[in-house]
Amino acid sequence: MSDDLDTPAFLAGLEPLSRRSLLRTTALAGLALTTGCARLFGRKEAPEALAYTNLTEDEVRVVAKLTAAILPTEQYGLPSSLNEVPTVKNVDKLAGRMSGQTRELLSLGLWVIEYRPMASFRFSRFSKLDNQEAYEYVVALQEGNFVERGLISAAKTLITVNYWRDSRTWEGLDYWGPVTEKWGVRRLGNAPLPPV
Amino acid sequence: MQIVRVPQDGIPVTGARDVARDPAMGKNFTIKTDVVVVGSGAGGSIVAYQMAKAGRSVLVLESGRYWPSSEFTEHLGDTLEKAYRDQAGQLNTTADVLFPEAAVVGGGTVIGACVMQKPTDSVLNGWARDLGLKDLSASKMAPRFGQVGDWLGVHINEAHEINATAHKVIQGCEKMGFSWKPVARNVKKCALTGHCLAGCPSDRKMSALVTHLPWATAYGARVFSDTEVSHVRMRGGRATGLEAVIRDPETGTVVSNLRVDAEVVVLAAGAIQTPLILQRSQVPDRSGQIGANLAVQPFVQVLARFPDPVYGFRGALVGVLVDEFVDSDGYNFWSGLAEPEQLMIQGEQKAGKEHIEFMKSYKNMAALNAFSLDEGNGSVAWEGGLYDGRKVIKWNPSRREFDNITRTTALAARIFFSAGADRVWLPTFERLHADSVFELDQKLANVDYGIKGLYTYRMNSFSPHGTCRMGVDAYQSVVSPHGELHDVSGLYVADASMIPTPISAPPQWTTQALAHLVAERIQERASSHFL
Repeated sequence: MSDDLDTPAFLAGLEPLSRRSLLRTTALAGLALTTGCARLFGRKEAPEALAYTNLTEDEVRVVAKLTAAILPTEQYGLPSSLNEVPTVKNVDKLAGRMSGQTRELLSLGLWVIEYRPMASFRFSRFSKLDNQEAYEYVVALQEGNFVERGLISAAKTLITVNYWRDSRTWEGLDYWGPVTEKWGVRRLGNAPLPPV
Repeated sequence: MQIVRVPQDGIPVTGARDVARDPAMGKNFTIKTDVVVVGSGAGGSIVAYQMAKAGRSVLVLESGRYWPSSEFTEHLGDTLEKAYRDQAGQLNTTADVLFPEAAVVGGGTVIGACVMQKPTDSVLNGWARDLGLKDLSASKMAPRFGQVGDWLGVHINEAHEINATAHKVIQGCEKMGFSWKPVARNVKKCALTGHCLAGCPSDRKMSALVTHLPWATAYGARVFSDTEVSHVRMRGGRATGLEAVIRDPETGTVVSNLRVDAEVVVLAAGAIQTPLILQRSQVPDRSGQIGANLAVQPFVQVLARFPDPVYGFRGALVGVLVDEFVDSDGYNFWSGLAEPEQLMIQGEQKAGKEHIEFMKSYKNMAALNAFSLDEGNGSVAWEGGLYDGRKVIKWNPSRREFDNITRTTALAARIFFSAGADRVWLPTFERLHADSVFELDQKLANVDYGIKGLYTYRMNSFSPHGTCRMGVDAYQSVVSPHGELHDVSGLYVADASMIPTPISAPPQWTTQALAHLVAERIQERASSHFL
């Protein structure tokens, strides 16, 4: 007797599914439903943003776009600023340790960078610009009024520090990095008490 | 006879995790001590050592973490994250002037560039003559500077401590006819790694981590890290102790509340934090000067590119001082190119191809750090409640201060062009560089003062001072010539905030000499302070 004969009426049409594929389908449907519910109840992080614990999804997008625009490093034989050196992750980590005041400033700054292009001829969020447009926008802000200059300088500092602090980037600069251990420099320890 | 033994390496420090592990301490605990010192940097460590050596029980409280030198990585990025307040992101209200400040056991002495410079005799004698601070005259301060210099092995750089960056500066100065001299530094047998700003892992920098703090603990002083003082406690015009919060440095979670009962409270938390503690404590402020008179010694870094590689980051970080303008204008120029991350903080980094090219010329760069004298018109204030308030740092350049910064930038650029530079990057928020001395003035003329000089030059203040100035008149100053608050007995200040007027010298040596004086005065008044 084939399995088909045992299929109840309410499962009509699902006959081609094996037990394994039925389980897989159920699992996927369950996942889709859960994701939908999560979105409905406010959990909005994109899967890639789940790796970031301090920046919001929107902030991650802005920081990633800034990184791509400011640091097109792969084209110049340097480690990728997005795929090799964890620039965005480093910024995320930094944000987690910021004081409340500084964190508020960061949020505000990234929000302005994201939405400022909406008010200009570009009519687009910064994170949705292509990399060339984003680069041009960064340059335009740098040549803008003093508020724009300040804003983009701060953002660039944040991004670039968190790229160049990675030792993998130093070879490309002929920078020697830490040397004490390499040279075998002896630790002197504490200074002796001054003579009485 | 007491046996005094200095630990060979490191300091016994009680941190948040030790407190959390110790059931005897609990969520709230009290420590009784003769002297509590707030801050473990240049001033605090000296007071702690002198008081402990004099037989007093001493407790040192540091808001930053304890990061032993054996764990230093020579990565500036790590240091910015672990050893600086707000991860080196402390800013003025308009967010265009950076106030990098240490928040680590040992304070600014751990991350400083080792430069030791005294104010000129005319400045010291001016304090004695014009402000009535007789003990601060050049002749009376000389033994104190000498004592600190001996403790810290201060010496003039020898030939091997003058690196390639410094040689470019010397070359430029010789052509311009400017006076220069090797810098005095507090380093013993410098290993020439160039990583001063990241902390010295081989303990050659004579910071408080390897000198006064271990010496103080050898005499019985106790050191707590991760401990933020909320306010000083007072009764009947007398300081009786303080209250503090101990937080885990990684998570920020409150581990414990600490109350200290002390006969003497010494604030040595630096020119930003000390006035904030006083304001939170609501100490009487007859003069209205607590937190006022903030002098910032604005500093910009002028970067130059040379046709051939310089490797200016190798060797001792600071080699020479251009002292041509110290007396006439209060300008100091120090040679010094640090780690790549530093370029991001102190200049316009450009973007895309231009940024990469800028960074790739790092090995061809030299840097001159231009400090100018300001007027001391800034302020520091605590706004809001004791626990939920916030600090407000106000300082923007006046027109005259702005002109001084422009002039120091122009002078530094000329020195480099004279030494053969083919490009000088100007330290501005705009993308500006000059490729010859002939276009320099035109480029600088484009830097417009605008509104309060906002977002013009990329300025930093490594050396704030003056926010609790010393004076004889209680209506004009915060602390007495002994360093004690005019209206609160037993409450002293021993850091750069008590420097009476703006100075152009880096303040570490001055702070330490003044802290030496304060410790001596506390001891002289022992019969009235200690039961």
